[in-house]
Amino acid sequence: MLKVGIVGCGKIADSHAWAIQSIKGCEIVGACDAEALMARQFSERFQVRQFFTDVGEMLREARPDVVHVLTPPQSHYSIARQCMEGGCHVYVEKPFTIVTEEAEELLGLATQKNLKVTVGHDAQFSHATRDLRRLVQEGYLGGPPVHMESYYGYEFGSIYGNAIVRDKQHWVRRLPGKLLQNVISHGIARIAEFLCDQKPLVIAHGFVSPSLKSVGEEEIVDELRVIIADQRGTTAYFTFSSQMRPTINQFRIFGCQNGIFLDETQQAVIKLRGHRYKSYAEQFIPHANFSRQYIGNFFRNVSRFVAKDFHMEGGKKCLIDSFYCAVISKTPEPIPHNQILLTSWIMGEIFKQISRKGASCEADSVRGGEISTRTHAFASIDRLQK
Amino acid sequence: MALQDPIISPEDKVLVTGASGFIGTRVVGKFLEHGFRRVRCFSRTSSDLRKLDSIKRDYGDTAEIEIFRGNLLSREDCRRAAEGVPVIYHLAAGTGEKSFPDAFLNSVVTTRNLLDASLEHACLKRFVSVSSFAVYTNRNKPDGRLLDESCPMEEHAALRGDAYCYAKVKQDEIVMEYGKKQGVRYVILRPGTVYGPGKRAITGRVGIDTFGIFLHLGGSNKIPLTYVENCADAIVLAGLKKGIDGEIFNVVDDDLVSSRRFLRLYKRNGGSFRSIFLPHIVSYLSCYLWEKYTLRSNGQLPPAFNRSRWHAEWKDTTYSNEKLKKLVGWRPKVSTSEGLARFFKSYEEGGKNA
Repeated sequence: MLKVGIVGCGKIADSHAWAIQSIKGCEIVGACDAEALMARQFSERFQVRQFFTDVGEMLREARPDVVHVLTPPQSHYSIARQCMEGGCHVYVEKPFTIVTEEAEELLGLATQKNLKVTVGHDAQFSHATRDLRRLVQEGYLGGPPVHMESYYGYEFGSIYGNAIVRDKQHWVRRLPGKLLQNVISHGIARIAEFLCDQKPLVIAHGFVSPSLKSVGEEEIVDELRVIIADQRGTTAYFTFSSQMRPTINQFRIFGCQNGIFLDETQQAVIKLRGHRYKSYAEQFIPHANFSRQYIGNFFRNVSRFVAKDFHMEGGKKCLIDSFYCAVISKTPEPIPHNQILLTSWIMGEIFKQISRKGASCEADSVRGGEISTRTHAFASIDRLQK
Repeated sequence: MALQDPIISPEDKVLVTGASGFIGTRVVGKFLEHGFRRVRCFSRTSSDLRKLDSIKRDYGDTAEIEIFRGNLLSREDCRRAAEGVPVIYHLAAGTGEKSFPDAFLNSVVTTRNLLDASLEHACLKRFVSVSSFAVYTNRNKPDGRLLDESCPMEEHAALRGDAYCYAKVKQDEIVMEYGKKQGVRYVILRPGTVYGPGKRAITGRVGIDTFGIFLHLGGSNKIPLTYVENCADAIVLAGLKKGIDGEIFNVVDDDLVSSRRFLRLYKRNGGSFRSIFLPHIVSYLSCYLWEKYTLRSNGQLPPAFNRSRWHAEWKDTTYSNEKLKKLVGWRPKVSTSEGLARFFKSYEEGGKNA
């Protein structure tokens, strides 16, 4: 029986508890939160025998094998370190750490102590993303990825989004990357999975949307465009937007022969055929082909639903299950360390650039500086490839 | 209604949390109407204070209305806010939408912070906790269809799938626990469906629009309405009346209308939309099947519909306000017909009264 401890009994802890209790052979043996009432309500609702307000006490009393660190990101590093020093494998919610140096330290400590560690990039383990990964591994792209596009939409209409805008003391505002740091991990991790460098070129442009400005918001960057390029020649665009409609969560990956389109929200994967049909056939046959694929996605989703394998947090369950398998069988973790580091490093670069450019970047775009920024970007990629 | 021999004098200062909210502003207004002069209004830093400012203007120098900006999750803010106040009207609550931890944090932890702060100052004469009808199970009642204060609370509140219900049950429990163990003198009020200008949504007791079309589930059920000013009156009186410590009161008006009539009036005044009536047997069966499927599929469908919710919201029930009338001396000043007229008038005026 794998014994699991939970640190941080806020909103995200519920979905972890559901996932853990859905996996055979594991048990939540302790819940910990600095606020005793929060720890108590969690333990009552999920029938956890013991609850604590101190991590050290939980490690000593409940003796978990694995600890899920689900606190606000500012405390991920210290709590994960404490748990690893106590001999526990660690699952850290995204974002992994505040800065890359902390991520490096944690991963180094895990290697040194022969412990497993992973990060909550659970969108990487949804049905659709696993289908996409399988296609890539089977060589559908025809070689290494040439280009990727990752879109991550966000709506401030949610109670969480509203809370951030209303509450000037919200913990998200105290993150170096503020809102972006808490939400873009999924979109960046999709790209990081298919890059080969540990330090690719990153060019970021971020700004506060006019919509947020109209309610007096000046510090939350809610529009972000990023260009990423590695030495192999793989490039990527990342788009984060709170204003674009529809609110999409999509990914496109193109190889030298074919491409693949993933819609995370709709759980759809579409193959993009690289070769054209002759003459007028190109105007008719692809439509039938796309229709067939969308119908295929429909039936695949229905069959998964009927088989009771289509839960909202299914990706999280799959990631946790895979992580526990790695712990038990001492096999590699579901997310390699270099991907965790790369995601962290790219995010760090983005936050550095948008905080450095700040208002001047925005002024540039108003004056038409956007063009010069892009010219600079492509020149940089060109230099890198040479 | 005249209040005789209140537990505080007109010069004592009271604290109202959630003071800038839908009910809170009316509570502040009613408190001043009763001749009391000093009120500390606890409000979030992001709250809209226009209504409170309007009350301040109305009373000018004759009343001291102190705006206290803070966060009830901060023990220090609570400590400062509770200083020197003999009565706390605790209205602030977190709905948390579907998140149990959020609802719990913003209802229970905040309440505990206030209770601890009041114990520190040792000057509290009454803690008025505003709860909700949502806490009642509406099953195994001693008086059949009648729902009154003797109806048991939801024992397994988390299983109803309603974060608000869970948080309010736990809030009531912690208030009662502090009453028992720490000697805090409290009164709990459980309003039914509070309505009035400024609140546009149709209560779930009438029906739901989860599936793209409005499903009318209430039918001929009476809706436990209480007009916002009547409700505010009850809250104010419950904080001032002698000899009611440790009591729980339901707040519901007289002459309640049926769900069907409410929906008809809503459509006529608030804009027409399509609705389908589901007879009780159909809604009960649907809730039963949903509940079973949720369990069998390990939560593939959220536990939004189940028999507990059906009993609480869509079962044919009658309501009583006798205890409130008898012990507190409350009477609904605004009749239901007048309240509904004012409510729908605010629609015609495009929410100007909101």
